[in-house]
Amino acid sequence: MRNHLKLALKVLARRKVFTAISLVGTALTLVVLVVAVAIADSAFAPHAPQSRLDRIVSVNRIMEKGTGVTEIMNPGHGFLETTLRGLPNTERVTLFSDLETAVIYDSGRRLEAALRRTDPEYWKVFDFTFLEGAPFTAADDDGNLSVVIISDTLRAQLFGDAPALGRSIDVGGQVYRVVGVVPRPSIAQVMPYSEMWAPLGPPSSDERTSTFGRLLGAVLARQPGDIPGIQREFATRVTRIPLTDPKQFQTLSSSLDTTFEAFARTATHNKAGTHAVAMVRAFLAGLALLFMALPALNLVTLNLSRILERSSEIGVRKAFGAPRRSLVSQFVLENVILTLIGGTISFILAWIALRAIESAELIPGAHFELSAGVFLYGMLIAAFFGVFSGLYPAWKMSRLDPVNALRGGVA
Amino acid sequence: MITLNSINKVYQTDRIETLALHNINLEIAAGEFVSVMGPSGCGKSTLLNLIGLLDKPTSGTLSLDGAPINGAGDGKLARLRNEKLGFVFQSFHLVPDLTVLDNVEIPLLYRRMPAGERRKRALAAIDRVGLSSRTHHFPTQLSGGQQQRVAIARAIVGQPRIVLADEPTGNLDSAMGEEVMAILEELNRQDGTTVVMVTHDERFAARTARTVRLFDGRRVA
Repeated sequence: MRNHLKLALKVLARRKVFTAISLVGTALTLVVLVVAVAIADSAFAPHAPQSRLDRIVSVNRIMEKGTGVTEIMNPGHGFLETTLRGLPNTERVTLFSDLETAVIYDSGRRLEAALRRTDPEYWKVFDFTFLEGAPFTAADDDGNLSVVIISDTLRAQLFGDAPALGRSIDVGGQVYRVVGVVPRPSIAQVMPYSEMWAPLGPPSSDERTSTFGRLLGAVLARQPGDIPGIQREFATRVTRIPLTDPKQFQTLSSSLDTTFEAFARTATHNKAGTHAVAMVRAFLAGLALLFMALPALNLVTLNLSRILERSSEIGVRKAFGAPRRSLVSQFVLENVILTLIGGTISFILAWIALRAIESAELIPGAHFELSAGVFLYGMLIAAFFGVFSGLYPAWKMSRLDPVNALRGGVA
Repeated sequence: MITLNSINKVYQTDRIETLALHNINLEIAAGEFVSVMGPSGCGKSTLLNLIGLLDKPTSGTLSLDGAPINGAGDGKLARLRNEKLGFVFQSFHLVPDLTVLDNVEIPLLYRRMPAGERRKRALAAIDRVGLSSRTHHFPTQLSGGQQQRVAIARAIVGQPRIVLADEPTGNLDSAMGEEVMAILEELNRQDGTTVVMVTHDERFAARTARTVRLFDGRRVA
């Protein structure tokens, strides 16, 4: 093994052009995959302010279907109160609005910012770090007070480096008092993301019974393992919700989803039902494989061309008693080392790419982490890539006829 | 030690059938130094490849130490080559990426042997061919004669009972050729190693105990 390792490094160092081409191909492929994984990680992994994501399920759509007609809308207050309150093994329930664009007038300037209205529980389900002030209270919400929490980026736009607590903001002609400042979440964190958060306020009498509305609801389970039971009970409750127009619609459906389930349902346009997650996972895995297949095939071709170049060595090793499996493992190891080096380079490049994406605000508020887990997965992908692209050429090399190999031929 | 009975070797392509060896019968005793001579294309190297288990006869039987080899699988042939045979090639066939020491170690990599023991044996073989001062050189840093001496060290490091040399002096000038021939003679004389050497050089053939002559794939002497 040590000899194989030593030889592999020497071969790579000596064949500089081959090594450079292979490394560029491998590294670029892995950069894209690592960046994609880091982006997915920022959206679907538990990072503040959604550190409890493994315990959170949410409902964001209700679908009514009739003959030739489908209506998909956000749930309303009445629906969420009926289906979410009192679900078993839940710690908290929060209702909050979908994002809306608010217009801020500030000393003759006109700014647009994302606004979300939330109940007080929202601040207990999501773990925002307050840079200034504190969450608004139940009294603020009940009193429908004009208070607002803003993001640090909006604070910088409005007040520069000065504190914002207690300052006023004119939002669409209504004056709000700033009661808190939090770091802006990533736009990929669908539920916590916004630039301003105002109290949802008590529902109107119509809203109290409405099935449809402009809200979302989220449930914090006691344990991650409680989620399937909560989802089942939710599904039972949904069957008891009356249709808004029985003449037009025959079915009403909704689901309490994990973040990835919600993403999968949206990505499949709500058409895949319970298979959405499996479909999206299979699609993403297929896409990654396809994406890896092209440079892998390129590496296979390059490796095959090296058979001719190294036929003398193969012939010598066979003449001195190298069994086929030893030759296969030697050449596969060489390839795996090559792709692992490519993997390491790709991490450096991915780190640069992610910092560039962050600073260019391509995904607003996003902060990407290249954790040990992402690194480990990346290296596993690199190793798989190495075995995948090295096995066939290695097998072909090992089957070379020693006499022909010594003559420099490949027949 | 080596017995060839009615050996035929035919190379077949889509259109042409070439008879490389025809009805070869040959017996080589342990400790013999045999040279094989003949004009180019007469089948000398084919014969050596068959004896070296690098190629298989089309018909006939080949025995090593009284055991017939016909029908042996790739794994068994690899093991026999590793344990009983050593090769010296006309164009040396050293691995350019490896040092002298690493090149000489190659046959021992395919044996169960601790790395320290492997190194010790390789150094002893290098010392035997007089290249101790070149242990960490790469093949391209050596002269042709030195490269062939490294190849001989590689051939003998596993202490094989048979060394097969295919025109070992063919790419060397007379002085270097003489050095290589002297090493082979010493191996045969001191260790009792059986040496089978293909050569074009009558002077070297004359120094061996017996010369086998081939012409158009047939044994003529």
